[in-house]
Amino acid sequence: MNPMVPTADAIPVSWGYFQALLMITFPIHLLFMNAMLGTTAVSLYACIKGGKTHTRLARDLAKILPFTVAFTINFGVAPLLFLQVIFGHLFYTSSVLMALYWLSVPFILIVAYYAIYIYDFRFESLGRKGAVFLLLALAVFMTIPFIFTNNMTLMLEPRQWTAYFGNRGGAVLNGYKVVVWSRYLHFITGGLAVGGLFVALLGKIKGKRDPQLGELAVRIGMNMFTSLTVLQITIGFWFLTSMPPAVKLPFLGERAESTALLIAGLLIALLALGTGFGRKVLPSVALVVPLVIMMIFIRDEVRALYLKPFFAPDMLDVVPQYSPFLLFAATLMAGIATIGWMLRKTSKLYR
Amino acid sequence: MNYPVWYVPGVGGGVLIAVIAITHVFISHFAVGGGLYLVIAERKGVREQSRDILDFTKAHAKFFLLMTTVAGGVTGVAIWFIISLVHPAATSILIHLFVFGWATEWVLFLVEIVAISIYFYTFDRMDPRTHQAIGWIYFAAAWLSLFVINGIIDFMLTPGAWLSDGSFWSGFFNPTFWPSLLFRTAVACMFSGVYAFLTTAFLKNGSARRSMTRFSGKWVLWSYLAAIPCGLWYFSTVPPQVRALIEGASPTIQRALQAGFWSLVMLAVLALILTILKPSFHSRPLAVFIFGTAFVFMGAFEWSREAARRPYVINELMYSNSIMKADLARLRQDGFLATARWSAMKELHEESLLEGGRELFVHQCYPCHTINGANNDIVPRTADISYPAMLGYLKTIHEKRYFMPPFAGSDAEARALAAFIVKGLHGKQIAEGATAGSKGRELFEANCSACHGEELVGSRTAGWDRARIRNALDRLSALNPAMPDYRGSAAEKDLLADYLVSLNAPGVPPAAPGHDRGEDLFEQHCAMCHTLRGGKNPLLPKLAGWDERRIRQVLDRLEQLKGGVMPPMTAPPADKDALAKFLALAEKGGAR
Repeated sequence: MNPMVPTADAIPVSWGYFQALLMITFPIHLLFMNAMLGTTAVSLYACIKGGKTHTRLARDLAKILPFTVAFTINFGVAPLLFLQVIFGHLFYTSSVLMALYWLSVPFILIVAYYAIYIYDFRFESLGRKGAVFLLLALAVFMTIPFIFTNNMTLMLEPRQWTAYFGNRGGAVLNGYKVVVWSRYLHFITGGLAVGGLFVALLGKIKGKRDPQLGELAVRIGMNMFTSLTVLQITIGFWFLTSMPPAVKLPFLGERAESTALLIAGLLIALLALGTGFGRKVLPSVALVVPLVIMMIFIRDEVRALYLKPFFAPDMLDVVPQYSPFLLFAATLMAGIATIGWMLRKTSKLYR
Repeated sequence: MNYPVWYVPGVGGGVLIAVIAITHVFISHFAVGGGLYLVIAERKGVREQSRDILDFTKAHAKFFLLMTTVAGGVTGVAIWFIISLVHPAATSILIHLFVFGWATEWVLFLVEIVAISIYFYTFDRMDPRTHQAIGWIYFAAAWLSLFVINGIIDFMLTPGAWLSDGSFWSGFFNPTFWPSLLFRTAVACMFSGVYAFLTTAFLKNGSARRSMTRFSGKWVLWSYLAAIPCGLWYFSTVPPQVRALIEGASPTIQRALQAGFWSLVMLAVLALILTILKPSFHSRPLAVFIFGTAFVFMGAFEWSREAARRPYVINELMYSNSIMKADLARLRQDGFLATARWSAMKELHEESLLEGGRELFVHQCYPCHTINGANNDIVPRTADISYPAMLGYLKTIHEKRYFMPPFAGSDAEARALAAFIVKGLHGKQIAEGATAGSKGRELFEANCSACHGEELVGSRTAGWDRARIRNALDRLSALNPAMPDYRGSAAEKDLLADYLVSLNAPGVPPAAPGHDRGEDLFEQHCAMCHTLRGGKNPLLPKLAGWDERRIRQVLDRLEQLKGGVMPPMTAPPADKDALAKFLALAEKGGAR
């Protein structure tokens, strides 16, 4: 075992609980994050393009943007928490190594968040100048995943950690490695593709009241979805080949479960591409949601394979205390019920 | 020692935590109290059928949404980021122990976001009853968030029964939980008025402006009154060591408390003027000024609370430098460098003393001290300390100043750290002092240790000053006929005497030959906090006009001096005599 790997703290319930909570909350975060990326990109395009329908589309998307940011952040907190419970000792270490970049995340996020609100609240008065704010936000939304990709890969490779002794100021990046770039580009093109599909879905809903706007949103959204999905699959192969043998070979036939996961993911992606080219929005959405979940399982498998030589979650000590879990479960149910009630009351206003 | 240290010596992690945390806490308390303010203000508008009040409430809700969900929410995430970078080990404990507390807080955060978004975007569109219900839901979720976070924050100050039973609930409902919760609730309501002053200052309608300014002022004043007994109760529940730090033993807390006190006085005066005397006096600059006073108060409170936890980051469990209290004895026995995972150096050698010392500094001192940075700079604080004095100080650092964590390492590592500070940071020679210590030890080992252990010699000579020990070395057989006389040279006897002095009083390291004894004592006992002249805390101006007798008397009761800040001087009377003589001479211009 690598002597630099810190000792992990004990967990209060079996690791499976945290793994389950991680795997439930993370896809929700990703879906919101994809929606945020797609909405920002399409609204930016429509704002710059100008013209009546495009401006209306940009306006409608601007109203949605702050919600996508808020829920992306909120649903990012939960998986980051559960990740820290299982992999904290690795994650804190890699975070310290790249502290400067890691700490910049919340600050550039605040800038982007306010830029989104300025774009929304001053849409009319800003006109096309609003694009500047949106461009800033998009740049931030593309940068943060890069920082995350660095951290999520650096935490998996303790052999890289010796870089710390040449750089204690928190400026170690994993970004010079091909696998980091291929992973980042794979995820970001996928994210934008799903974001495009989200805009198409909005177009489908809006189309009932405003067919012109709906048609435009579906056209832009589905074009984005199909072209970026093709690109994403291509980059996916590059990503696969750029990983170390111990990680990629299980996906290439060495381990049945890993290979099956990859094939299933690829099949769903190809099916979604088929519905995408056919401009079938709802079937595409129905395929993309399980696809995102499948991708998370593959991602989790990649992490497990990287960590295999020195760590697995079942190595964590358990000092059982189940009653706090009940507090959380009760609060979650009460929270969902309360949110349901509020949304029901609100939806009545928009009927 | 389990994790790497993010080392930015000119900045320091503590100041980054402080800036982010104070900003967040200042907004997050508003996010709690402000929620209640919104629903009560809306109800007032509905009851009085006042369009002006409702318009004001809507405008304030927009400001509230932008302030709390963006700056408030994301700085909350930023605190999580920064503490995991500066205190990864402590963060890991808090995350693992309270994971379902944090998860519960996450659910509440979600409810807050949904509720406040609906509240703002449906203002004037939803029926008032339901709309106010949404507002109440927001407030309930926000207050419960405070409830949860409060338990975890207070755990760090007063872990209470958790230390023995390890139960989540013992840690959560710890001794300061309830007073702190009430105090923070009162502060949250006070801040709701302070923030509302900002919005009322922008109201164009004069009567609405006066009315809502007065309304907001009442929030400030009533909450202010409620906060006073809650704060006193809170203070009464903290452990005695924490109370002693707040009451005067920590200079940094004293400065923070002074700033906090005067900002609170100004806040009270201005709130009284705007509420009772003259609401029309309100203006935008005044609103910003009041906002500033509240910020300073919050900063002073949070700074003091954090500083009063020292030397621990989690009280009685983990020191501020991430060393577990339970590991201390082992680290002193086995050494720190050999067992720290992220130390670049595992073995200490004489030729790499400075590098080893630097490594120890990074792990054990840097968590609180910067090098030439704005906060708690180590350089001026150690400028007047000689190597032997530093060495002695390190060995008794926690006993001399409670809020400093004890040095966790072997004797050789203490020497390395002292060498790094004295030579590495200040460029001063350590050879002379080091020779006095190490040569003396060599002589001891060569001539004495066959019959005597260090401990025995130390206890047999307890209370002896250097002169008496030095004299004894000239006639050992007179002490005990069984003991042969020492045949070393006079210089060797000097070195050995220095070494023996360091044994019989561990806080009094061997003096370098040729120094004024009083000056050495000044370095050993005073220079950690005082310079003679100049610097932050010069001693001589305080002694202006004092004669040697008066100084000597005061040295016996330092702890009774104004403020109770100073520790008592533990030294033999002869040392106090020498120090008094030196200071009296210096006061008359006779020393550097």
